Amino acid sequence: MSDQMSEGRAQLDHPLIAVPSHDELTEQLFVRDLKLYVMSQIEPVQARIAAAEQKAAEGGNNSAGALRERMGHHESFSTWLSLKRESQRQLWYTVAASVERQAPELEALAAIDAPLGSVRTDPDFAVPEYITRGDIHLMPGGNAHDDGSILQGALMDRGGAVYMLGRNGGMLNDLRGQTAMAHVLTRWPDMHPRRILDMGCGIGTSTVPAATCFPEAEIHGIDVGASMLRYALARAEHLGACVHFSQQSAERTDFADGSFDLVFSCVMFHETSQAATMAIIAESRRLLRPGGVAVHLEVPLLHDNSDAWVELSGELEAQYNNEPNWRGALSSDYRSLFEAAGFSAVETGYQATSPAARKGPFRYSPQSEGVFRSWFVVSGIA
Amino acid sequence: MRPSLPRTPKRLDAIDGARPMDEQLLAMIVGLTSEVTVLRARLDACERLLSASGALAPGAIDSFEPDPEAAVQRELLRKATLDKVFRPLREAAEAELAAVSGPAQENG
Repeated sequence: MSDQMSEGRAQLDHPLIAVPSHDELTEQLFVRDLKLYVMSQIEPVQARIAAAEQKAAEGGNNSAGALRERMGHHESFSTWLSLKRESQRQLWYTVAASVERQAPELEALAAIDAPLGSVRTDPDFAVPEYITRGDIHLMPGGNAHDDGSILQGALMDRGGAVYMLGRNGGMLNDLRGQTAMAHVLTRWPDMHPRRILDMGCGIGTSTVPAATCFPEAEIHGIDVGASMLRYALARAEHLGACVHFSQQSAERTDFADGSFDLVFSCVMFHETSQAATMAIIAESRRLLRPGGVAVHLEVPLLHDNSDAWVELSGELEAQYNNEPNWRGALSSDYRSLFEAAGFSAVETGYQATSPAARKGPFRYSPQSEGVFRSWFVVSGIA
Repeated sequence: MRPSLPRTPKRLDAIDGARPMDEQLLAMIVGLTSEVTVLRARLDACERLLSASGALAPGAIDSFEPDPEAAVQRELLRKATLDKVFRPLREAAEAELAAVSGPAQENG
């Protein structure tokens, strides 16, 4: 467990993050502990019930759908799902109150006179359907919520750190970005990109590591929410990173053909749709100069569809935590999709999680090293 | 007036086999557990701060004996809590009693 979620208050937080009061921190720790409790004390029992059900149905229909139907006869299956979802709802509820309480301080911190970077929002932006259909991760208002302030971004920042139980780089929540950059350095150690684009950058947790890894490069980040992007700019400035954020869909941006040397994303595909994923891969190709590199990082793929419980667990997580393209993203053949879009030297595999890109580990292999210890990455050359 | 952040996420699919009231009760219990956890942490912080300042001797709370007047007041506090929390059960039992006893016995 990261000590950044401990009761020691201000360790290693970047200056903009919402800092909880004594009571708010207790609430957030309660949510973290409740999530751990559900995961370690209740979920394994459901897994055992499922195993017993699968054994009983041996020789018959043992699909995830059939297992779901049988699990539905157990009351504890419903209470497990209800409690799990409620823990996620409590997370946003408590963090939202904490963010609102300190809104004036956060807004004062975000008002930066001469920023290094910039933010460009678009009042006419058409939010994609997979974003508006349901609020991703149950974050109330969703990724595109905008009231003209930075508060939805502040909610996503603090909430995201608590959501991952501090396992994704604590309050900086930056292990995925560091790992994506470590992947670039693993495959192309001498690369010196001049322009880099982070697609689906959110509040810039993965964009800032790109700026740190390649300080000479011009860094851009795009996403669908104006509040998130305003917050992302202020957050990057406080971390000393120069980033140009703009409100755009990764499916079709307004950047010129061949205008980037490196295009990347972190855990974006599973929040879109299968059609959007194909469009985003094509857009990555369009945006890269010849010889430029695309790197897309995702959660571990579903290699084993033979275990109905593994498949059902993923399906339930997708449905009740609003992950619009979970199954599609985790079962796609990325090598074919990349090659069809015109990429060469395409590789798929698992990049060992890196706490700081330049320090490695520079390890990329076909096998996963485990959840949080490595991330699925597909990369190729334009 | 600053706009407030939304609290209810869009799209909450029905959970297999769960009745809405079950979910609501469970959510309330989680909320109450959170509140009790916060209260307890706050009380713990008070005790530690008072002990550190010397205002509270070690073990003073565990060995606290209320005087008779305080004991009566604390009794009333406990009773009020029980009345408040278990009111629905008492009301439901009284309604059933009224039903089996006929209209004349109805609670006025």
